Amino acid sequence: MSNDSATAFLIICSAMVLFMTPGLAFFYGGLVRASSVVSMMMMSFGSIALISTLWIVYGYAIAFGSAGTGNFFGLDGVFGIDLNKLFVDDVYRQALSGESLALVVAGFQGTFAIITVALISGAVADRARFGSWMIFAGLWGTLVYFPIANWVFNFTIVDGKVVDGGWLVYNIGLLDFAGGTVVEVASGASALALALVVGKRFGFAKGMHAPHNVPLTLIGAGILWFGWLGFNAGSELAADGIAALSFINTMAAPVGGLLAWALYEKFVVGKPTAVGAASGAVAGLVAITPSCAFLDPLWALALGAIAGLLCAFAVELKWKLGFDDSLDVVGIHLVGGIIGTLFIGLVGNNVGLLQTGTFDQLGKQAIGVAAIGIYSFVSAFVIAWLIQKTIGFRVTSTDEIAGVDRVLHGEEGYSQSDPRWTWKP
Amino acid sequence: MDQGNTAWVLLTAALVLLMTPGLAFFYGGMVKAKSVVSMMMLSFGSLGLIGVLWVIYGYAIAFSNGGTKTFLGIDGWFGIDTDYIGLAAQVKDAADPSGAFPQLAFVAFQATFAIITVALISGAIADRAKFGAWMVFAGLWATIVYFPVANWVFNFTLVDGTMVDGGWIVYGLGVIDFAGGTAVHINAGAAGLALAIVLGKRFGFSKGITQPHNVPLTLLGAALLWFGWFGFNAGSELAADGIAAVAFINTLAAPAAAMLGWILIEYFKHGKATSIGAASGAVAGLVAITPACASVDPMYAILLGLIAGALCALAVDLKFSMGFDDSLDVVGIHLVGGIVGTLFIGIFGNGVGAAFGFGWHQFAMQALGAGAVLVYSFVLALIIGFLVEKTIGFRVKAEDEIAGIDTVVHGEEAYAFGADRG
Repeated sequence: MSNDSATAFLIICSAMVLFMTPGLAFFYGGLVRASSVVSMMMMSFGSIALISTLWIVYGYAIAFGSAGTGNFFGLDGVFGIDLNKLFVDDVYRQALSGESLALVVAGFQGTFAIITVALISGAVADRARFGSWMIFAGLWGTLVYFPIANWVFNFTIVDGKVVDGGWLVYNIGLLDFAGGTVVEVASGASALALALVVGKRFGFAKGMHAPHNVPLTLIGAGILWFGWLGFNAGSELAADGIAALSFINTMAAPVGGLLAWALYEKFVVGKPTAVGAASGAVAGLVAITPSCAFLDPLWALALGAIAGLLCAFAVELKWKLGFDDSLDVVGIHLVGGIIGTLFIGLVGNNVGLLQTGTFDQLGKQAIGVAAIGIYSFVSAFVIAWLIQKTIGFRVTSTDEIAGVDRVLHGEEGYSQSDPRWTWKP
Repeated sequence: MDQGNTAWVLLTAALVLLMTPGLAFFYGGMVKAKSVVSMMMLSFGSLGLIGVLWVIYGYAIAFSNGGTKTFLGIDGWFGIDTDYIGLAAQVKDAADPSGAFPQLAFVAFQATFAIITVALISGAIADRAKFGAWMVFAGLWATIVYFPVANWVFNFTLVDGTMVDGGWIVYGLGVIDFAGGTAVHINAGAAGLALAIVLGKRFGFSKGITQPHNVPLTLLGAALLWFGWFGFNAGSELAADGIAAVAFINTLAAPAAAMLGWILIEYFKHGKATSIGAASGAVAGLVAITPACASVDPMYAILLGLIAGALCALAVDLKFSMGFDDSLDVVGIHLVGGIVGTLFIGIFGNGVGAAFGFGWHQFAMQALGAGAVLVYSFVLALIIGFLVEKTIGFRVKAEDEIAGIDTVVHGEEAYAFGADRG
């Protein structure tokens, strides 16, 4: 019975996380120009299609391959592949014999891979070619996401202790409950690399890029939040007390982030904006992702508020430093992910500086952040640079100015006119 | 601890959380294009503020019981358990849950109720409220009205299926309110009426002048509300069992019938069925079935839906004849629908209804509970709203209201179409 319950819980959590990627498409889509909303949303939908396929074919075999099976090739805990896990074959066979949970976990983890890739696309709004993006997404998923998921998410627990697994979670002792490093830091660092390679939009300047549809962005934020409850609580892989703690923290941190960002805007900038409130909620969600199982709700509130404030500052960096991270993947996901991951080393239950008086765990958290941040940044930079030098990553300047939707997809996001009555030969 | 129940409570909580963004779209589509950001921010602001208050002290007020040394106040009326502040006691329970599900799961589920109840009120003050003033009102109203009223209605202790302790409405009076017809809908509706009176009418308030700026947005919101409402009603059983299934099917039947009831009234009055009417009808049915979803058979849920849809379709015209600007019909739908649903139990409720020979006792108790919440919420919302109006001011300046408040209050415009095409 309890296995049935865990299976039901995780199947529904997986559906919620899958729903996050369309949610992200709306969140990002509302923030860009009206003439590039189709392109923006297609980068997320393209990730769903491509990364799900790769995940089933070989992504799962890389991310959850462990040595000792006889079919494993590569370096255990760092980069390898288990041939038995190709096409999720081994867990499929387990499911046929009545042990369904492992197959559901494979599906659940697939939805994480999809959204991580889609998150990066915020850095290249309004100017990326769809084909180049898809090639980048496939290479990045293969060379970056699948191995780093192994480093952090692949482990074996016996009596509450990790006895085997990826090098960060097993050898270093990194605590990352739902992917502050693998999902948030990795996508944020890669977005920075991509923004540097692809370059700035024309007329890149503060105040020149108004969102074309604020309600669409708020729809996206609402759906992201809903799905994130499945993302974090589902990461317990069972419906128990820790799942409940993760769940309430996934409400507490974003509300703290939302309020902090809105208050910052009110008292420093002048007016609380809806886009700011939505961004604050997402910053809180990002920060609580690694830490949701390790904090009391009051600390989750505090973490959300800190993340909301710091991310509100961080999104200004792109104007000062001059990189066009168009939709603030760096300012929210990289910065928020780092804050949330390090926060465990400060106040995490039983491990943080506050309770143990040592910097032990904080050091481990910092190593995890640095390893994943640097590896993702460098790999993303190289992949993007190769694409830029071969087939080109960016549309031509005339196409960018005209708006990429017509050029890339032959569609317009919105049409007010009926072609039957307005068609001119 | 049972993983099935835990999964059920957590997932239904997620569904209910999604209702507040859904409400923002439902309301947002109905206002002017120049105040949609403001309208949606009233909901998102509630989400932020009430979530914070709930974690810090809201749950400690709403679900505290007398009899412990840490309880301060009057049991069943207004008190706080200091051990619950910051959810300290509930976090301890999460390590090894003592009940069928972790207490934190219930905390999360009830948090989403507090959030949406406050957000519902905002429909009464569309197009003209200051954001900061709304946030002050929301925090005060939740603290003084919602948290204690939730205690009156939702806080009770069952032993072997018999209620042995609880808030004065649910335990003292024996009112049946499964998922919050009184604590959520009558509560929010009465407060909406008070705020509409405090803020006064919009400029040029008259029938037919205000048009929804984005009908698909409202329909999307209605769909998300309905989706989330399955979690709201069926989740209130706190277990995935037969009663949850009854609540679920009734949450399908009542809004469907109410949608028909509403568009039939529209058809007979105006000759056309509108999509806003269909969406409003569905919401009216959802409101009415909220208290009654576990107490009536599906056929009676359909009857309740038809009655609620038709009555609410008539009630939303009251604001024009009586001259209060409840802009998005919080009174006409939530107050009226909530009363209809709560009283319906007294007539057709299984095992208690007058129609089944159980006398009018339950009906009287339902009326007493509904009346108590209505009066308490209305009076306090009027006082809080009035104090906010007299101190920092609740309403934007006349010229800002006419220009549209999004740029004035939030510095944003909702839409920038064509701006980049030159």
